[in-house]
Amino acid sequence: MDNNHFIFRITLAFILSFSFSTFAQTDWVKWGKADYTYQINNPVEQRNYSFDLSNPGRFLLKSFANAYWLFISDVDGDNCSFSPTCSNFFIQAVERTNIMQGSLMFFDRFTRDMNIFGKVNHYPRVPGGHFFDPPSLYILDSDSINYIPPSVVVKNE
Amino acid sequence: MSGYLKHILIISVLIPIKLFSQDIIQNQYSYALSLYNSEQYYDAVTEFKRLLFFDGEKEYVYDANEYIGMSYKMGGKFSDAILYFAIAEMNAGNDEELFNSKIEIVRTNILRRTISHAIALLDSLQKDKRFTDKQWDIYYWKGWAYIFNDKWDDAAREFSKIDSSKTLMIFCKNVDQEQYSVSFANIISHFIPGAGQIYSGHYFSGFLSLGWNVLWGYLTINSFVNNRIFDGLVIGNLLWLRFYNGNLQNAVKYAEENNLGITNRALDYLQSGYRGIKP
Amino acid sequence: MKKLFFTILIFSSIIFSQEKSHLANDNLFSPTNIKRFADYLFCLKDYLRAANEYERILSLVQNDSIEFKIALSYLEMGNFSEASTRFNSIKKSSSFYKSAQAQSLKSVFQTGDIVQFRNQYLDINSNKAYLDSAGMASLYMFSFLLTEEPLPNEDEFIKTFPIAEKSKIKNFYDWKQDPLEKSPLKAAIFSAVIPGAGKIYANEYSDGIYAFIATLVAGYLAFDNFKAGHDFRGWIFCGLTAGFYAGNIYGSAAAVQIYNARIRFDFINELKAFLEDKNYFLQVFNFCN
Repeated sequence: MDNNHFIFRITLAFILSFSFSTFAQTDWVKWGKADYTYQINNPVEQRNYSFDLSNPGRFLLKSFANAYWLFISDVDGDNCSFSPTCSNFFIQAVERTNIMQGSLMFFDRFTRDMNIFGKVNHYPRVPGGHFFDPPSLYILDSDSINYIPPSVVVKNE
Repeated sequence: MSGYLKHILIISVLIPIKLFSQDIIQNQYSYALSLYNSEQYYDAVTEFKRLLFFDGEKEYVYDANEYIGMSYKMGGKFSDAILYFAIAEMNAGNDEELFNSKIEIVRTNILRRTISHAIALLDSLQKDKRFTDKQWDIYYWKGWAYIFNDKWDDAAREFSKIDSSKTLMIFCKNVDQEQYSVSFANIISHFIPGAGQIYSGHYFSGFLSLGWNVLWGYLTINSFVNNRIFDGLVIGNLLWLRFYNGNLQNAVKYAEENNLGITNRALDYLQSGYRGIKP
Repeated sequence: MKKLFFTILIFSSIIFSQEKSHLANDNLFSPTNIKRFADYLFCLKDYLRAANEYERILSLVQNDSIEFKIALSYLEMGNFSEASTRFNSIKKSSSFYKSAQAQSLKSVFQTGDIVQFRNQYLDINSNKAYLDSAGMASLYMFSFLLTEEPLPNEDEFIKTFPIAEKSKIKNFYDWKQDPLEKSPLKAAIFSAVIPGAGKIYANEYSDGIYAFIATLVAGYLAFDNFKAGHDFRGWIFCGLTAGFYAGNIYGSAAAVQIYNARIRFDFINELKAFLEDKNYFLQVFNFCN
């Protein structure tokens, strides 16, 4: 065995001796045979083009949103660095509050979207790299604010 | 009785005690193996660890660590599996065992989709003079590594080096030919907005993109021609450039989406339909 | 001499091989061998396997130190409710009883159910049955920093903690009394006077500047279009100006609420890190050295 191979084995033994306690944590729950797939899991985000029939106002709002998405937003590329996107944010804000409050939240969101420098140390991210910024933070109800620090990647939006 | 004879007698009585201990260890090995074969992988790991703990002679250190690694691999715990395959590799008794553990590490890296590690390991195996008779195995696993890395032409090239893997070579070539060229879609969209989307079969999006670019382009140029410079700059930057960039993004996005569907169908066939050795 | 040599050879080979194999006897599943293996797993932090092996021993032989280790395994895995149940099952006659009571209290604390924790503490305190009396008292007082109830008197609060921690505890106490939160109403008023000022008050400096620029640019475009006689465009930009202005006021109030949520979040995290560092003011068990 040459010297390099000997040094490699000693180094590996040293690293492995510290690895055991770290890896033991996966066995803190009893597991069985895994049903894994070879397929690549990269879900394509699908637009929700459904219509809201609960009342005429919401129907009108969703219709405009669907038209905007189909003819403009799906064609002009991915321009919003946030998740949900500004149009989705507006829809969710209006559904959560009312048209006036939702509009104010939208204008505020639009202003924050223009800020290209201040996002990195302010918002957490979602797996695709966009910044996570849900409407629930802005409805002026401190109990509904679920604060997430900027360093976190949010898995379930 | 002579002194030597007395001592030989004592030793011959005591040796069976030691042999009996190894029988216990062998029984434990058989028990752990039966758990592995009946797919009770968590319990198999426990019993192999028990075996390792009590195996003072270190007779089963390679096999036990190999089986622990394989149990973790069957449980989808790839990082744990690689750890134990590495321990088995350190305790390999001969070149055959060493090669087998290294290949298990390669296979687990492929499943874990850490392809660069798998390729690096295979490259080092290829250069290792101890394994010159294992080149076909190395090409085979390199092919699989390229498959999982979505590089079907590279995979086909590796399989072409092996006589017995012509089926896989043809399969990979077909997948490569079926896939869309993302760079081609991107390039043609630079010249004709929407062309890349039409190439990928998204006709509505492609023609809509073309229409928007024609409209904003006309308005921008018209503004400059009529000396409305500010209007021209605003329309050009905020509208025409936006839709032009959107056309380039969509060209790449739709080609990649189509390719993902083709890749996943191919991977699904390989997992469920292909009968050869898999990672 | 030769006899001595062979005697030493025989006995050392037997003893040496027994040591290498950890085998205490001929049965891998005897209580002694199971315990050796379980202790090995415990020290490797393979707690679920260790707990299962310790359970095997209990089915053969009752042993309160084994029960304690099972409970400790569940505690280490973060299964606090199970750990608490196991600690509570250790009998009063056991030498581990007092330690178990203290650890049970720690487990309940870690479930987040502060009410149950306090009730259990008061119950134990009344019986004077636990070992870590000072530690338990510190943890009990510390729980007031994590809830919204009024804090006890400062002197009464701080005296329960070790001398080395008093300075840090005082900082926590002062922060809890006066959290340095900001007022959303003030932020809204600042932004009504100068667009973006409320956001700067909430420490969102770049957002404040962009809010100011957006309102200013939209306002200028409205003014410019009206001046040039383009009334339709003027009204559009007027509407946008109003939207940006009102949105900036609203957004400033929301930004302060988020600011307040952030400082509360950071405070709670600091408290938790402190507790982990001090092992919840309790005795540390080390069965592995």
